[in-house]
Amino acid sequence: MKRFYTCQGLILVMVVLALACKRPKGRTTIGISFETLQTEYWVASSDALKAACEENGLDYLEAIANGDANRQFEQVNNFISRGVDGIVIAPKDAHTVIPVIKAANRAEIPIVIYNRLPAPNKGSYTTIVADNYEITKQTVRYLGDLARASGKQYKAMILIGDLGDTNAVLRREGFNDAILEYEDVIDVVAEVPTEWNQEKALAGVTNALQANPDIGLIFSSSDFLFPSVISALKNAGKYHPIGHEGHVLLGGFDGDAMAYQLLRSNYLDADGVQNVYYECDLAIQAILDILNGKEVDSVLVDPGFVIHQENLEEMAPKMWGANLEVP
Amino acid sequence: MKQIQHSGLQWVSNNSTLLLFAVAIALFGILSPAFLSFQNAFNILVQAAALGILATGMTFVLLTAGIDLSVGSIMFLAGVISGKMVVDGAPLWWAGLVVVVIGLEFGCLNALLIYRLKVIPFIVTLATFYVGRGLGLFISDTRAINLPESFLTLGSGKVLGIPLPVILLFFVITLAHLVLTRTTFGKHIYAVGHDPEKARKAGISVNRILLGVYVICGFCAALGGLVAIAQLGAVSPTFGLQSEFMAIAAAILGGVSLFGGRGNVFPGTLIGVLLIQTIQNGLVMVNADPYLYPLITAAVIFLVVGIDSLQNQRREKAKRLGLK
Repeated sequence: MKRFYTCQGLILVMVVLALACKRPKGRTTIGISFETLQTEYWVASSDALKAACEENGLDYLEAIANGDANRQFEQVNNFISRGVDGIVIAPKDAHTVIPVIKAANRAEIPIVIYNRLPAPNKGSYTTIVADNYEITKQTVRYLGDLARASGKQYKAMILIGDLGDTNAVLRREGFNDAILEYEDVIDVVAEVPTEWNQEKALAGVTNALQANPDIGLIFSSSDFLFPSVISALKNAGKYHPIGHEGHVLLGGFDGDAMAYQLLRSNYLDADGVQNVYYECDLAIQAILDILNGKEVDSVLVDPGFVIHQENLEEMAPKMWGANLEVP
Repeated sequence: MKQIQHSGLQWVSNNSTLLLFAVAIALFGILSPAFLSFQNAFNILVQAAALGILATGMTFVLLTAGIDLSVGSIMFLAGVISGKMVVDGAPLWWAGLVVVVIGLEFGCLNALLIYRLKVIPFIVTLATFYVGRGLGLFISDTRAINLPESFLTLGSGKVLGIPLPVILLFFVITLAHLVLTRTTFGKHIYAVGHDPEKARKAGISVNRILLGVYVICGFCAALGGLVAIAQLGAVSPTFGLQSEFMAIAAAILGGVSLFGGRGNVFPGTLIGVLLIQTIQNGLVMVNADPYLYPLITAAVIFLVVGIDSLQNQRREKAKRLGLK
């Protein structure tokens, strides 16, 4: 008898738990999966996506995979079993996202890939991605124009991200192609691989400055590497504001809080900005459009913009890093 | 003649890392004359300081046939907490003390879980890896912390013209070398690494030795982290990621066995660290193709581990045949 009551009790608990977990009917739920939240950019994106969901009256579930592609796949499968209406995923890389797309397609749930282009595959999905190549090219062109206008010859250095990351590769290509237009004034003497690691970036920049003490132009493929660049420049006695004779032309990519602060304090010449708010609105709108039976392009591009000393006041409100405080 | 040839080969296999180190210096020196400058040698040493301190702690753990995957997270957590403290106006010495305490606490936690719960070090330190990183991300709100100028004095300061990180590195290496070679504790570490059961039967407290090595490793991780952030001037959410693998690679390149009981801090681990840093430095100096970096680093690790494996096989064979 005691066992019977125990069983009944357990069933009751399970029913209560099931009811508690069941989401209210009628509300559309979006599953948001991030590979990591380990940079300001991802945190800002996650916040902006949640804000976009709230603005559109949507519920959301969130999962972070901490850099583990398998875990991300499992998390998306959990979203599918919980019956979400759409999925937004910032994937680990271009290839591991393919099984995730297939799983979402099998369940007939619209899926939006955020910020990283998947490798070619036959799945049905929409990708929201910043034009890494073009934004970098425009940023470097701005630096090139400054170099040419100065009438001096420049030696340049680029900090490259993880070469397994499509965005890092496209930024490098954008840099190299832009530099080709300024071959008469700019000579690239150092390509520093950082694997998106600040310690490696610091060592790399220090070594490159040791080999070429007259480097006068530095482009960082991500703003979050700026602390390493600044530390190395300070140690080499080359950290000077714009206008100083020894100023090193400095460019970056992302649009984070530190880049904004450096622009304001006259140390950064130009920064390529990914428009996080625009990208997140596009992602949520794409899912809503698909759910409403509308056709959505397979790739939606954020053209981004270049922020520099001349358009700082005008463009700062659109720069996501300008809305964050530097701790 | 054959005897001389044999002993020559023996010498080469015994000193493979040192030879590779010499070859790397010669090669990069030929390709880029700036590589051989005095200033660049100091650069390599400064850049090797954090990894060297980290790898020294890791060597103690590896000598007991253990592993510590939490060192990168300890670096990160210690960096975040000390960074926040300094930004909020706490004095540097106070932040430094907290860093050391965090390292010691994590070391104690690892050791206690390993010998109390009898869980293998890989699993325990994998768990503390997540604890450390998770706590650090939670405290920092996944935001980079930019440190005040005062924090940079440790990273860029000099005593008698020698950079402070280099002095710290050599202090830690010397102390570790003395502990391993001149103390009973050091001898017991090797004994536990060779065979923990035999060590226990010989009256050695294995638990005490494990506690000691993990506490030393935690302390070195925190100190290494402090040296690294003092050079960077910022703590980002990715700080310390994969540092554990670099530390393990450096120790193994220096001849420390993953199976315990064999290896040393000086010259072993130090040479391993310098070899890694020299290759990284040299590749930038000669402006090598960025795609070559991981391939060259992997090739060096394969080469050294391959030579070590051959040496082991020869040793085992000699043992079986009853030869010295």
